[in-house]
Amino acid sequence: MPAPAEAGRAPGPPDGGWGWVVLVGAFVSIGFAYAFPKGLAIFFKEIQDFFGTSYSEIAWVSSISLATTYGAGPISSILVNRYGSRPVVMFGGLLCGVGMISAAFCTSILQLYICVGFITGFGLALNLQPSVIIIGKYFLKRRPIANGLAMAGSPVMLCTLALLNQFLFDNFGWRGSFLILGAILLNCCVAGALFRPIGARTALVTAPVTEEGKDAVKRNITEDGPVENKPEEEGGKDCFEKINQYLDFSLFKHRGFLIYLIGNVLMFLGFFAPIVFLAPYAKHTGIDDYSAAFLLSILAIVDMFARPLTGIIANSRWVRPRIQYFFSFAIAFNGACHLLCPLASSYTGLIVYSSFFGLAFGMVCAMLFETLMDLVGAARFTSAVGLVTIAECCTILLGPPIGGILIDAFGDYKYMFIKCGAVMVLAGTFLFIMNYYNYRMLAKEEKERKTKEEDPKSVRTENEGKKNWNKDSTQDGPELEPLREKGEGVQKEMNGTIEV
Amino acid sequence: MPATFYGRCLGRLLLLLLLCTSVSGGSPTDPAMTTQDSNQTEVNSVTKMQAGHESSGPGVATEKLKPAGKENSYNVSAHEILLSGVSGAPLEKNVPVPSPAKVELTCKLDENSNLKNPQVTWKKGNETISHTSKTPNSWTVQLTISESSQLGSYSCILKSEKEVSAVFHLQVPKIEGKEKPVITYEGDRAVMVCKTEYNPKAWTWYMTNGTELVAIDKILPIDKFQIKRQSASVNRLEVLKLSKEDRGVYWCEAAFDLGSAKMRFELRVLSIMAPLKPFVAIVAEVAILVTTIFLYEVYSKRKGKGGEKELDQTERLKSEDNVTRRRK
Repeated sequence: MPAPAEAGRAPGPPDGGWGWVVLVGAFVSIGFAYAFPKGLAIFFKEIQDFFGTSYSEIAWVSSISLATTYGAGPISSILVNRYGSRPVVMFGGLLCGVGMISAAFCTSILQLYICVGFITGFGLALNLQPSVIIIGKYFLKRRPIANGLAMAGSPVMLCTLALLNQFLFDNFGWRGSFLILGAILLNCCVAGALFRPIGARTALVTAPVTEEGKDAVKRNITEDGPVENKPEEEGGKDCFEKINQYLDFSLFKHRGFLIYLIGNVLMFLGFFAPIVFLAPYAKHTGIDDYSAAFLLSILAIVDMFARPLTGIIANSRWVRPRIQYFFSFAIAFNGACHLLCPLASSYTGLIVYSSFFGLAFGMVCAMLFETLMDLVGAARFTSAVGLVTIAECCTILLGPPIGGILIDAFGDYKYMFIKCGAVMVLAGTFLFIMNYYNYRMLAKEEKERKTKEEDPKSVRTENEGKKNWNKDSTQDGPELEPLREKGEGVQKEMNGTIEV
Repeated sequence: MPATFYGRCLGRLLLLLLLCTSVSGGSPTDPAMTTQDSNQTEVNSVTKMQAGHESSGPGVATEKLKPAGKENSYNVSAHEILLSGVSGAPLEKNVPVPSPAKVELTCKLDENSNLKNPQVTWKKGNETISHTSKTPNSWTVQLTISESSQLGSYSCILKSEKEVSAVFHLQVPKIEGKEKPVITYEGDRAVMVCKTEYNPKAWTWYMTNGTELVAIDKILPIDKFQIKRQSASVNRLEVLKLSKEDRGVYWCEAAFDLGSAKMRFELRVLSIMAPLKPFVAIVAEVAILVTTIFLYEVYSKRKGKGGEKELDQTERLKSEDNVTRRRK
């Protein structure tokens, strides 16, 4: 018997059709957001000589860019909640382009911080969040595959940009390269143009039956749940409530969200440092420059294939209902790789390590946003992703410097690897245990809700009346839908009645 | 650092010589001269430095002051090549010698190698020199490098059943620069940076005028060329207000005690049009794609609007059906 929530969802997310085109756009957008700051490293030596600065001053450009991309997450979420994905991505692409074009004419390192660091970083933030969000709006049954494919954009773009940047630099110098890169970043606008707005039916939890006829008109408004309550509550809203309208702070009361937040913040402490120090560690053990760079290439190539593969595995009917466990396993696997790295002393050992690291890295990245979507549902995902990225921002920035301090203090790289490995194994175990608890609580709540459904009227008034508390339990609806559907879907798929 | 240390010693030496000559009438200078001369003549032969000085220093004063102490104040650097006993291309090592120094070169034979009790000869170029010391598996040669003619390739040859050799290239330190051309734009400035590991006595920059090198420092205007010393071992040339005529080859020269090293830079000056063409092409491509996508969307919406209204009707009927069914 379908729940009242389900009746509100006329056609669900397409899971195909235009969704694949949106996926291409998201691939490009996410690729630029993650790979672009890393690709700029090729220019740093030349810029350092040009302005006569030290290496650390140049490295600030990267740090500011990364910090802005992650820190501007909530702003991005608010804008998406208000305007939808498409305008935000197009504006972000424009901002990136303007940032890099103005960077081509910079005359001091401070101007570079502003143009490349802040402006381009902010533009990339406006690219990253909406791309991830719109995947959740277009895909449900195939969402893990879609996430895996979209996140594969990052290593592909990194390889492409590395080669492209080298070519541009050899032919046009750094100024000309920045100018042309600004134009290339404008392609994010093209990606954004592909993000056709779509009504997220899953948000229509509180809609009574009669409103369905007006769906065609209200399609854009129903994209975000909070705004829907506007006509019910007139003025008298203070500033905090207004912000809450666009950025759902009630998520901090959501059990799944908190588990995800704590686990991920812990994980990021050890996530990026090994990549940063892989090449220096290789050189430290006596390997030459080119072979050390080759290790990173191996990592990127394995990563490229691991992400879609993980998406396919995560979408299978055995893994999807328990995807959180798979995510915890991936993190712990990643940590185990780092813990075993000090044992690899020869070049062959390092190649094996790089391959496994690439695999583990791809697995974690592919499921990074999928698991969040799975926990909070597509409607609240917009706010969730913003809040998560700003929390991760701190640990992401802290990770490599802490690793560097360990290396300098002990003069040996193995302590850094042990630290990263230990942190990630801890994060993986934490997530595993807490998600086990979460799954049990969700199953219990689902049972309670089923008994309540005997009386549909009381459920509806509850929904319409309160905002925050019921959002917690009612929003479990959309999360559980895929799980329950999967359960029903498994049988139906076997009977071939559900079209995929 | 060796250069300034050398300078200080020389200064001290001169002062003390003056004092000594005024006091005792010139006798300490003679042994100083003779030891210096004797060392100069011992170019290709190995000298036991310590022994040589002790035997030639006559009086207490000179021994303490070490008039030939230039050499005692030389830095000693040791370099070793490990030979595996496999014959093939000779193993090589570059030994940078920035200032006069004592250099110890050692050829060591790997214990696990097949060569037993080889005959070892040391050669500079084709001349044989004799070793200083030897242990069962390593042969050392100690050299005092005080002149540029003493630089070169020193090789050790181990011969028994097979012949293996190793070569030490003693040379003036190399300069790091940029092998690829430096690309700049009209109106901008160009920066060329030269870096070495050791501190040279002087840096000079040259630009090519046809086939000859013209030193930049004194001749050319200060608002066009600026030479900045970032540290003793890093030097940079800035060429301001670039124009097409500024392109070409520039040289940076680092003068060491024993010679000088050069580095070549190629400067290319492009006009702003060069990157502008691809830029405009890409912007045009973006604009065309965005317009196409939007037009396609408008077109497909218009096509779909006709059928959509019918769909809405049927949906409404269906859902009303469901609700009534549920209510029952």
